[in-house]
Amino acid sequence: MSDPTPTRLPERPGEIIDRTRQVSFTFNGEIYPAHPGDTIASALSAAGVRTFSRSFKYHRPRGLLCGAGHCPNCLVQVGDEPNVRSCQRAVEQDMDVNPQNAWPSLDQDVMSLAGLGDRFMPVGFYYKTFMKPSQLWPHYEQALRNAAGLGVVDQGTPWGAYDKQYLHGDVAVIGGGPSGISAALEAAEAGANVLLFDNGPQLGGHLRWRSDSDDTSRKDLLEKVQSARIEVYTDTDVLGWYQDNWLAAVRGDRLFKARAKAIVFATGTIEVPTLFDNNDLPGILLGSAVQRLLNLYGVAPGRRVVVVTANRHGWDLAADLLAAGVELAAIVDERRTRDHPASVDLAAAGVPIYNGSALTGARGRKAVSAAVISEIDDSGNPIGPGRVLSCDTIALSTGWEPALDLLYTAGGKSVYQENRAEMSVDPVPDGLYVAGSANGADLLQARVEDGRVAGRLAAAHLELTEPPPQQELDKLALELSKEERRTSDRISAPDGKKRFVCFCEDVTDVDVDTAIAEGYDSVELLKRYSTISMGPCQGKMCSVNALRLCSRIKGQSVQETGRTTSRPPTTPVYLGVLAGQNMEPVQVSSIHDWHLDRGASMMVAGLWLRPEHYGDATAEVNNVRNRVGLIDVSPLGKFQLTGPGAPDLLERLYINQWRNLRKGRVRYGVMCNDEGVVLDDGVCARVDDDTWYLSTTSTGAGTAFQWIQWWLQSGWGGNVHLTDMTEIYSAFNLAGPHSREVLRKLTKRDLGNKAFPYMRIRRTRVAGVSCRVWRIGFTGELSYEIHVPSSAGLHVWEALMEAGGEFGIAPFGVEAQRVLRLEKGHLIVGQDTDAMSDPLGADMAWAVKLEKPDFLGKRSLERISVDGPHQRLVGFEMTRKHIVPEEGLQIVKPQENGKLNIIGWISSSRFSPTLKKSIGLCWLPSDIGSEPGATFTIYQDGRLEEARVHHGPFFDPGGERLKS
Amino acid sequence: MWHDRPLKDGYDVVIIGGGAHGLACAHYLAKEHGVTDVAVLDKSYIGSGGSGRNTAIVRSNYLTPEGVRFYDESVKLYEQLAAELEFNVMFSQRGHLTLAHTDGAVRTMRRRAEVNRLQGVDSRLVFPDELAHICPQLDLSEHPRYPIMAALYHPPGGIIRHDAVVWGFANHADRRGVHIHQQTEVTGVDVRDGKVRGVETSRGYVAAETVLNATAGWGSTIAAMAGLELPIATAPLQACVTEPLKPFLDVVVVSGSLHVYVSQSSRGELVMGASVDPFGSYSMNSSLDFVEGLAGHVLELFPFLSKVRILRQWAGLCEMPPDFSPLMGFTPVEGFLLDVGWGTYGFKASPICGKTMAELIATNTTPDLIYPFRLSRFAEFDLVGEKGAASVGH
Amino acid sequence: MLVVPCPNCGPRNASEFRYAGEYRPRPHPSQDVTDDEWATYLYTRSNTLGVHTEWWFHTSGCGLWFLAERHTKTNAFVKSYLWGAT
Repeated sequence: MSDPTPTRLPERPGEIIDRTRQVSFTFNGEIYPAHPGDTIASALSAAGVRTFSRSFKYHRPRGLLCGAGHCPNCLVQVGDEPNVRSCQRAVEQDMDVNPQNAWPSLDQDVMSLAGLGDRFMPVGFYYKTFMKPSQLWPHYEQALRNAAGLGVVDQGTPWGAYDKQYLHGDVAVIGGGPSGISAALEAAEAGANVLLFDNGPQLGGHLRWRSDSDDTSRKDLLEKVQSARIEVYTDTDVLGWYQDNWLAAVRGDRLFKARAKAIVFATGTIEVPTLFDNNDLPGILLGSAVQRLLNLYGVAPGRRVVVVTANRHGWDLAADLLAAGVELAAIVDERRTRDHPASVDLAAAGVPIYNGSALTGARGRKAVSAAVISEIDDSGNPIGPGRVLSCDTIALSTGWEPALDLLYTAGGKSVYQENRAEMSVDPVPDGLYVAGSANGADLLQARVEDGRVAGRLAAAHLELTEPPPQQELDKLALELSKEERRTSDRISAPDGKKRFVCFCEDVTDVDVDTAIAEGYDSVELLKRYSTISMGPCQGKMCSVNALRLCSRIKGQSVQETGRTTSRPPTTPVYLGVLAGQNMEPVQVSSIHDWHLDRGASMMVAGLWLRPEHYGDATAEVNNVRNRVGLIDVSPLGKFQLTGPGAPDLLERLYINQWRNLRKGRVRYGVMCNDEGVVLDDGVCARVDDDTWYLSTTSTGAGTAFQWIQWWLQSGWGGNVHLTDMTEIYSAFNLAGPHSREVLRKLTKRDLGNKAFPYMRIRRTRVAGVSCRVWRIGFTGELSYEIHVPSSAGLHVWEALMEAGGEFGIAPFGVEAQRVLRLEKGHLIVGQDTDAMSDPLGADMAWAVKLEKPDFLGKRSLERISVDGPHQRLVGFEMTRKHIVPEEGLQIVKPQENGKLNIIGWISSSRFSPTLKKSIGLCWLPSDIGSEPGATFTIYQDGRLEEARVHHGPFFDPGGERLKS
Repeated sequence: MWHDRPLKDGYDVVIIGGGAHGLACAHYLAKEHGVTDVAVLDKSYIGSGGSGRNTAIVRSNYLTPEGVRFYDESVKLYEQLAAELEFNVMFSQRGHLTLAHTDGAVRTMRRRAEVNRLQGVDSRLVFPDELAHICPQLDLSEHPRYPIMAALYHPPGGIIRHDAVVWGFANHADRRGVHIHQQTEVTGVDVRDGKVRGVETSRGYVAAETVLNATAGWGSTIAAMAGLELPIATAPLQACVTEPLKPFLDVVVVSGSLHVYVSQSSRGELVMGASVDPFGSYSMNSSLDFVEGLAGHVLELFPFLSKVRILRQWAGLCEMPPDFSPLMGFTPVEGFLLDVGWGTYGFKASPICGKTMAELIATNTTPDLIYPFRLSRFAEFDLVGEKGAASVGH
Repeated sequence: MLVVPCPNCGPRNASEFRYAGEYRPRPHPSQDVTDDEWATYLYTRSNTLGVHTEWWFHTSGCGLWFLAERHTKTNAFVKSYLWGAT
């Protein structure tokens, strides 16, 4: 049997896998071994797997590239989870891992035919194709759509268990490499509470996997962190900077949120690939990816490696490979100098070294089989015929891009440093600091020192310490400026070869060239047209190359070319993490459980759950009309106004008159805004001289409270205080001809018509509990609305039900109430009125007291009253009595040409069980609506139904039952 | 496509704002009225404003007859746009669902469906049994807070490639001689004796007796240069996309109560948005609150998306008018015209807006179709009734 | 998330507040307010790109309505105060 892990190396110092244990998982249907600590990518690499995925557009085979969670190449499906970065996800026993975007298989993908030969789809292909004949577009579109996307969504995935946590700290340090740790230590020492975030499993940053540092420096830093008062969050991605230093970070299934007073961005650098022919072949890896494989997981990237570099990191890598016993086919360095300490050993080991040379292409069908290199002139252009080096791996270490996206979103302005070929940020906004590798420092000591200074500056921003003296800053700046350049800006001119700028979207340098030639010549247009940088890496792999290419083609500097706007999140994040727990709270009344026990069907009403009915709404209506019913109206808004200023405020808030209301009396009231639009309605009682108690609609209660407060706090609040009693009181309406008899059993108060007539309020003890009892009636029956302290709500409700037993009491729900009120012709604000309705049109002209000196809506209603409203809300009956037109149907006027003009609409309609006919409310043009008996036409499901205007209540128009 | 041309010192018509509206107007001016001495000025690149920041939903299922008529014409123009512009704008009429979670919402949806049908627009109320077929991915199980009771189904609604619309109009306008000047910011409007005479720009003075303000977001700023205050308030509107996924969601799904809309693009990304930000601002910074709230609401409808990742979020600016309807046409300043106040529904009106504004400019008369949207309606207290459907709807 | 300076409670997260738009003084609706003036009060907004005065309500807090001056591009607050103060 062949070795299942042919490229797993003997144990490496600093590796993080546990070789004493083994787990297994499946990839593409086959079983693979791994050690705890392995990522999916490291385990697959150890097994010699080269192809991880197929590319987005051309379905080209792609393998591990960045090893840092940035690029799209290693995205896999893990069980039900799409688009998992396999280089970041730890292997688990029995994990089911599958390639994405490959059909029928990863090895034989028929869609890759799209990329056969040179027949790539040119940039903008879709915009220029599939238009004719236009009737075929839907078919083309379906075919294109089917080819789109990467991972697969599993519709069985549950919401999951996500949560959120607030963190509290003074200074946030983003990045736990040497500079971040130094910054955190320095700030902590000055007395700041520090939050230190790192996306790796342990602190240390590149010290964990790069051999340019000795293990002691990392251990030293880590020990100091442990002893300092620093909260460390590893495996934590900082997702975004938001307004006022609001930071979001994610660790696993948890979202962290923190407000920092100062932030140090020690976010490091991202190694970026270069452009050469076939630069997307599996087996081409970034140098840092190779070092991670080697030093964290003990895996060789291949059997024969060409190292391509333009800085010391490539030489470090080569030395690592040599030490690990991996064959080096060559070291290719753009630079002409050879001063790396390892160069002697490498040369001695017989490794061919090509200075002043660059990689121009890779060869191979499914993976790299050779590298093509060439000498270059001083401008970086290849000279001579080139040389072919047989290899199975190419390690690219030619340049870095500071990870500044987070700082850009925080308002940092990018400046391209020509001499370093890297972006920097200048100016950095106040209270924000950038340090370490992200700030251009490369040597370890410089990174540590730069971090320390940033930490001190952050602490000084909080006035915990003095800022470092200027000469210290100058010295550091001088040291940084002397650092060796680590990034090459060499870029070839597009010449028809397959050089991928953007791996996510399969965009080549030819595409960029073409797009610019077509006029998409600003970076933002180029991005949108070519879709470059719009894929899963969000430009981390491609932005800088695209900029260099764009500036080369246009003959302008990178700075002039500009860069596209950075947008959060910096790392893609689960919807589940952002959502957190499934929390959509509902409000319930004090007797909610009682309703449920009685089988109530609940409905959503604003924030509340209310019983819609208890099984048979019609029976509930009949019971109220004939015997007695009880409804829970606790969600009503309930407010108390106290103080001598209350009448003045009420006069201004309502269209009605209040000053003349006597103690113990109740009046119906309507509130409008200054546009004259109806906001809310309800009843208001003068409880005593300086105490008023009012109710609003259930759904409008919150808005009404804020509305009243607004006016009260902006000049109309003299000598008055508003208290929200909505949740303090539960409220029940006892309605029906027997309601007095029921209530009488529970109170000593005289309920006779003389002592307690209609439209009065009385403080009344009901079942031993002091309540406010209103004699009002939305249902049109003799009724009492009992407002009881919520703590005693259930007691009083049950007492009423028990007392009503002999009279046939039954609970009724919202549906029965709607029918009952409709029989009385009462409107419901928000149903029969909308955001355009005024009270003159809405049949409430009687309540509008224009003679008052001022009230909200007065000026607008005065204007409307001159000509009268155009539309009126009126009652109607159907000519065919059993037809119930659904609410929302339109009222039409048939034209001579057969066309139906809309003239109104149905806002309420029900079949009245009391009257045995269909009734409703509707909006009509005033001329029709003003005439009782006038007929009009409703458009219902293709038919025309006739209806007649009705004014006033449909049932008991004289209101005898109410007042009985 | 389009060309860099020298900025002349005068044009017959200057259009401020190189978005889909401004460019559509230029296109129709040139194509249908032979008016080609036109400059479109944009302070950034074309399509950099609302045109490139919206979620590219096209529909016509509005509440008022005037709204429905207008947007229906827009949908019809969109259907022909690829052929007209010889540029595939990828209009994908996948159907559009607006969910109703309360009986009140059902009533409003029926009101809209009936108005739509009477105006000849394909739109109807569907209930859970049918919804399960139209969008089987929706979680139709019992929800205490947001039960799905019904939906307004609008089959002609769909999504489009927004940038392509911008580029298509730009290309055609350019071909007919319109000048498109990018990176040209208007810094002043020259008004004398109640008439517009030209504009000051970052590249110099440009004379024009007709100036169209088509600057979503900055409508008030430009109007103020002409001495006008408008009935609009600018607020950010945010959106986001997920990583690409294999296609699974065919229709556009909108929930007014949950303030969320979701569609899957031709690239496989889920494109999602919500209502405008809770406070007015000209800032185009993204917020965390937005994605947190949105994610919760999306999962309420599609819980199985919990492991799908948000890739990118962004913001654009909207101008909210009091009656949820745009401001189009003449102003008290002669020659200074408006095409602003588009709330969250501007992109879907681009072609018809361009066409009617071009007609207005060419004939100096307000076309009937946009008469309801005139600025003077506020002083006349003759607002459009679209606010009656007050809830988010994209 | 924006931090809003409540004159009572100090700086608090914006999620605790309700924003209620630009401050527009209300003309007394006596007869001498013309239709034009009234329409301007109801509908017209300066919609300033820069510092303007606006209403906030501390919903999940002290229940205070207050005015604030804020830059509408940077969202930076200049100050906040009770109605009637400056």
